[in-house]
Amino acid sequence: MKSISLYTDNGSWLVKLHPFTKLFYLLAVILIPLIAGHLYMFGLTILISTLSLLSAGMLKKALPLIAFSFTILLTIFIIQGIFYKGNVSVLLSLGPVSFYKEGLLYSSQIGLNVLNMLLSFAILVLSTSPSELVEELEKKGFSTKFGYILNSVFQIIPEMMGTMHTISDAQRSRGMETEGKLITRIKAFIPLISPVVMSALTSTRERAIALEVRGFGAKVRKTYLYSHPYTATDQIIKWISLLSIVIVIALRVMHIF
Amino acid sequence: MSLIEIKNLKYRYPGAAELALNDVSLNIEKGEFIGIAGENGAGKSSLSQALLGLIPQFYKGAYGGSVAIAGLDTKTAPVSEICKKAGLVFQNPFNQLSGAKDKVYDEVGYGLQNFGMEPSIIHSRIKEVLTQLGIWEYRDRNPFDLSGGQLQRVAIASVLAMNPDILILDEPTSQLDPVGSEEVFHTVDELTKTGITIIMIEQKVEKLAEYCDKIALLHKGHLIAYDTPGAIFSRDDLLELGVSTPAFTTFAKKNDLKLPNGNYPVTISELTGLIRATGIDVKPLLYSLNTPNGKTSSEEVLSDAPDANFKISDLHFSYVPGRELFKGINLTLDNRPTAIIGQNGAGKTTLVRILKGLLKPTSGNLMFRNQNIASKTVAELARAVGYVFQNPDDQIFKYKVLDEVMFGPLNIGMSQKDAEKSSRAALELVGLTDAADKNPYDLELSDRKMVAIASVLAMNTDVIILDEPTIAQDYKGREKIKEIIRSESQKGKLVIAILHDMDFVAEAFSRVIVMAQGEILDDGIPAEIFAHSDILEKAALAPPHLMALKEALIK
Amino acid sequence: MGKLFKTTFSTAVIVLIPACIGINYIGKLFAQALKLPLWLDSIGTCIGAILGGPVIGGICGAANNLIYGFTTGDNITLIYALTSLFIGISVGVMARLGFMNSLPKALITACIGGLAAVIVSTPLNIIYWGGTTGNLWGDAVFAASQANNMPIWIGSLFDELVVDIPDKLITVIIVYFIVSRLPKKLTTLYDANSVVESLD
Repeated sequence: MKSISLYTDNGSWLVKLHPFTKLFYLLAVILIPLIAGHLYMFGLTILISTLSLLSAGMLKKALPLIAFSFTILLTIFIIQGIFYKGNVSVLLSLGPVSFYKEGLLYSSQIGLNVLNMLLSFAILVLSTSPSELVEELEKKGFSTKFGYILNSVFQIIPEMMGTMHTISDAQRSRGMETEGKLITRIKAFIPLISPVVMSALTSTRERAIALEVRGFGAKVRKTYLYSHPYTATDQIIKWISLLSIVIVIALRVMHIF
Repeated sequence: MSLIEIKNLKYRYPGAAELALNDVSLNIEKGEFIGIAGENGAGKSSLSQALLGLIPQFYKGAYGGSVAIAGLDTKTAPVSEICKKAGLVFQNPFNQLSGAKDKVYDEVGYGLQNFGMEPSIIHSRIKEVLTQLGIWEYRDRNPFDLSGGQLQRVAIASVLAMNPDILILDEPTSQLDPVGSEEVFHTVDELTKTGITIIMIEQKVEKLAEYCDKIALLHKGHLIAYDTPGAIFSRDDLLELGVSTPAFTTFAKKNDLKLPNGNYPVTISELTGLIRATGIDVKPLLYSLNTPNGKTSSEEVLSDAPDANFKISDLHFSYVPGRELFKGINLTLDNRPTAIIGQNGAGKTTLVRILKGLLKPTSGNLMFRNQNIASKTVAELARAVGYVFQNPDDQIFKYKVLDEVMFGPLNIGMSQKDAEKSSRAALELVGLTDAADKNPYDLELSDRKMVAIASVLAMNTDVIILDEPTIAQDYKGREKIKEIIRSESQKGKLVIAILHDMDFVAEAFSRVIVMAQGEILDDGIPAEIFAHSDILEKAALAPPHLMALKEALIK
Repeated sequence: MGKLFKTTFSTAVIVLIPACIGINYIGKLFAQALKLPLWLDSIGTCIGAILGGPVIGGICGAANNLIYGFTTGDNITLIYALTSLFIGISVGVMARLGFMNSLPKALITACIGGLAAVIVSTPLNIIYWGGTTGNLWGDAVFAASQANNMPIWIGSLFDELVVDIPDKLITVIIVYFIVSRLPKKLTTLYDANSVVESLD
């Protein structure tokens, strides 16, 4: 079954880290450059994330995630480069269009922020099993009902994508066109989406029954089959992350940055 | 005190006008194997859900009377308590997964986790039930990657892990292929030895006859009878109640073979035992088996000139490049109603999808009425070839049955008037004339399947392909489908069906094609095919019940 | 007010939420497959809101974006969880007020849902992207407004309006037709006010 999760267990050190450790790291690298307010801080965090991914053999898988936001970043560079409110100094002129230094700097800040966030998320997403993350959260008191919702989404979507193809085949078999003019395509949307929605909703009834008869509504505290040890490495990364945030805030407050 | 006590149980679903259960009273003792029989809508599933407290706690609606299960009042005791006493397994193998676990092992442990049991106990329970049901080897697989039969066994394991006193099986094999069904019934066999109380709802009456101590016969929410299989299946009014009799009982009735207690035999061993004990001459019995009633239809529709509809030569097909499923299929399809049988994965659906143009062959010739259709699109073929998908819910989207049926005819360019005429005729054929203005989603699954069939019939195509039309149908529904196949064939249309129900194949079709691993193993009239036991074995198919009887009598 | 937001967290409702999130996703995929110039990725959120009430709608919306954000690493989706949350809440409130009982009323619900999306998204667009949305038509409007020296927030607001209002209108119309014909046997499962009647 094709999963929507990008996680694969490649046995690297990132996979072995406790899910929470990665959450602490995520928090630190996203906040630090924003608090520090310097472009080069983005460079630093981006470098750390990239090196981590590289050493865990996951950089290649992270690239499509970054490529995804490339077009929107390009639009920003063009629009802000030309129209940014604070534009004063022309950097480059292409015929009637001029790109300004201020707009491009502003765009770079947006771009680096996005890149930094994407890379740090890539670490979490590529190296953490969603169900493990949920289980660890549940152990810390996170609602098991919400935990179920999270886990279930991962199972439901591939299943629904399977039905999607069958539905499309079934309606085309009855002579429905899915290509051509916009109005034809809009008309095709309802015969395609309605059966998905209806069968998704009707199967919720059976699934709910399946859960009920497995004690889903039991009031006792759930137990867990597995445990993930919190190693020394986990402790070190966690405390470095938290301390770095504190230090950056302190430096900022004391105007050293 | 009985293990289960049902007193004057009444229930009505929210928004429904009629009672789903009407004054049902019965007791079930510990260790009994109880069957529940009845047509679709008789209240079988409702009764099983009332045992678990899902009715009324989960469904709401209107409730009366009482159900006590191991001393718990199911109207008020939390379902999470009741489910420690009774486990439920139902039809759809996929929808009864918790949907939260990605390994069979974890899935089986899920219920125990919810009960807050010690992890060490959970681990040993999981191991115990997985070994008991012979599925320990699947423990690391993703449940969604398993076949239906394997999944049903995982579902049974998940329920047994919780160590219930009662196991309720609601048509557990209705959506499985023959091998899957056998796997599940084999498991049921094993469980009967453990002394657990089992309640089984089943359309396969031969299975009810084989296992049950007692059968509860339901009709329109009423309990008609609660008696031994022999007494139930010897009733004269069964067909009116929409329940078929086991093939062996029908045979015994026809030949007037009665047991000393006045009932007819209901299982093959009872029947052969009776024949041996009374020393009746086997020859006339064998003769009557060779000319079963209704089988004459094969000659009848074998019309005068079987002109070729499809001509397939040297057809190759692969889903994944390099792994060919079809390595050169040659097949001619004339006008005879044709059944394609074989296990899941044999290539049956792939073949009919190629005929419909939904899949394109990698190479080879595909002619329809002397026209090459290998390159035609699905929409272009919509007028010629109709295809009824297995699950009606994959296509229904209108709020009126009539509109739903008219969707196809309008798409292929029929005028509003013609489309309506054709649709009404199709609805009449499937027996849903009165449902024309109803909302398809208010109908039972079996009727929704009929709506899907009508929606293709109304397109008036030359070829009609049916994918598993008998699933979810009761006796009446199956008879209706037989009638549709007959009448469409008489109109000169080619009916092709993929089926797992061998008794139905033997009764309704003139030609049978046996497939296994992408190859055609056998092709001929049903009586011939079902006599080729070596080929059936190779295709992992069980012969129809009467064929089995014939073999037993010859011995 | 309490009644407006009354919510049950029964098993049926818990199972409804992932189904709605799946529906959002499939809606988006079909819209892409048919090359429609709309997102159509909040059908599930609206269904959840109508069946389970504003709280469930909000959860469907927010969880939707959070889950995709965390699984695909696409944190662009992540920050718009706030938008989806408010779409779910506003549609849920409107439905409880009876604004899904007829098609004209449903259109009002659609506009409210669309406006909620615009109001929440615009500041997010400005903070995160400097005002653009990534939608071709919307961004063209934004570029035009900036060229004419309008304030960023007005440009961004237009950018969002052009995209969100038509999208939510179509979404709510589809949802209206689907929900209005759900059988009672099903809708009762999610209803926070349903009770068992006695036949004794």
